[in-house]
Amino acid sequence: MKRLALLVLAVIPVIAASGQSEFVPERLSNGHPNFSGIWMAGSLSAAFNVEEHGASYGTPAGPSVIIDPPGGRLPYLPGMRERAADNDQHRERDPVGQCHMHGVPRVMFPPFPLEIRQDGDYVLILSETEHGVRIIPTDGRPFLKDYSSWNGDSRGRWEGDTLVVEVRGLNGRSWLDQAGNFAGPGATIAERFKLTGKDTLDYQVTVENPSVFSRPFTLRVPLRRRPPDVELLEYGCIEGERDAAHMPVEAEKK
Amino acid sequence: MRWITLLCTLFAFSALAQAQAQAPDLRGIWEAAGIAYQNIEGTPAQQGRPATKSVVVEPANGKIPYRADSRKTADRNFKDRASTDPLLACFQPGLPRAALLPEPFQIFQSSDRVIIVYQHVHAYRVIFTDGRPHYNEGIEFYMGDSRGRWEGNTLVVDVTNFKPETWLDAAGNFHSEKLHVVERYTRTGPDTMTYEATVDDPEVFERSWKMRISLARHTEAGFQLVEHECERDTRGVFRHPPQFLK
Repeated sequence: MKRLALLVLAVIPVIAASGQSEFVPERLSNGHPNFSGIWMAGSLSAAFNVEEHGASYGTPAGPSVIIDPPGGRLPYLPGMRERAADNDQHRERDPVGQCHMHGVPRVMFPPFPLEIRQDGDYVLILSETEHGVRIIPTDGRPFLKDYSSWNGDSRGRWEGDTLVVEVRGLNGRSWLDQAGNFAGPGATIAERFKLTGKDTLDYQVTVENPSVFSRPFTLRVPLRRRPPDVELLEYGCIEGERDAAHMPVEAEKK
Repeated sequence: MRWITLLCTLFAFSALAQAQAQAPDLRGIWEAAGIAYQNIEGTPAQQGRPATKSVVVEPANGKIPYRADSRKTADRNFKDRASTDPLLACFQPGLPRAALLPEPFQIFQSSDRVIIVYQHVHAYRVIFTDGRPHYNEGIEFYMGDSRGRWEGNTLVVDVTNFKPETWLDAAGNFHSEKLHVVERYTRTGPDTMTYEATVDDPEVFERSWKMRISLARHTEAGFQLVEHECERDTRGVFRHPPQFLK
């Protein structure tokens, strides 16, 4: 009993010193925090427009989710904002409307749930919409060479309790949001996932592309855990699609 | 001394509990051996391709026991397959076709579910193994609604609630929304697994039948699924990228 008391006395100061307000996550047997669950963006503002936006037809007003640079505007190079505005006028070009996967980072904040599972050296992210998939190895393997895809090639690593995911091999055709903002071909991406509460997963993503932006920028979209009875359902899009033949084929590749 | 006895007992109990809770490990990246995806009933030798046997193990004649009118539909599907195979239009493949395809799939496991991610058009299945029931009749899925359970070393998956549009293979073998598939996944070695599917559909088949193939695990260092996303051709029709066509 005396030994137990000593142990308790020894542990208390350690807990106290580790930061009073810091959330202590549930851990897996490998020591990493357990992110597993069904998640969804806490707000759909980013899905509509990552920048601050007023209400418009079919779109509620919302704040910017850009936390850097200060001011919350995308640091487009000259001419690029006009291209985004042109996209906004031609939403039929939106790759998502044409049954393509959202691409990173848009796949992390659609108006549909995500399922995250950790299994050994993998973090798996399933998106209900477009049955999107991201398989993220965390074993230190190198990126694929000459790879081009909607959701990219992801490599994860742990920095303490934060999962850091680097993404390469993006085809650059994805939009960032429904308003036509884009990151273009050659973008490199670094994402940071961290539990800030039992049911809140902080998601920050830094996007870099010197051919489109004057500097890197960072978005922040906190994800919220969905209730335990929520299951991902099957999403169909291409199946039975009868309008595809009438959609602009080349326009989406701009 | 009492402490040590207590610790030892606790240890033994937790090890036992762990062993009991430990489901067989099916994790890894798997792919069908053979070419049953072309025709479950087997194919004669064709240019550049050897003949293959039927993978139907019940009935013993290797033939799918179609009702007479359904066999005619299958024959018509075979004749028109170049233009009517839903898989060529990038539909999710359905079952058991997804397991037969010449493309890898990855199995993930956690305590209450098994997840299978197919490279083919990034279709996936979340298979609950915690006893929760199927969706109600009439709620249909291209990949069906999967509920799993462990029987010894075998993962048994009961799949219902199918949409009728998918085919069973590239030869036009087909089903209705009454399709009921029971899959059995059994490890047979470090890099091998048997996949068995019992297929029932009273609208299309006279009796249930069973097929069996082997799966092989990908052991190449750093092997991973790549993205298989369809693209629209110049006429706007969804097509598989050429590297995935076999």
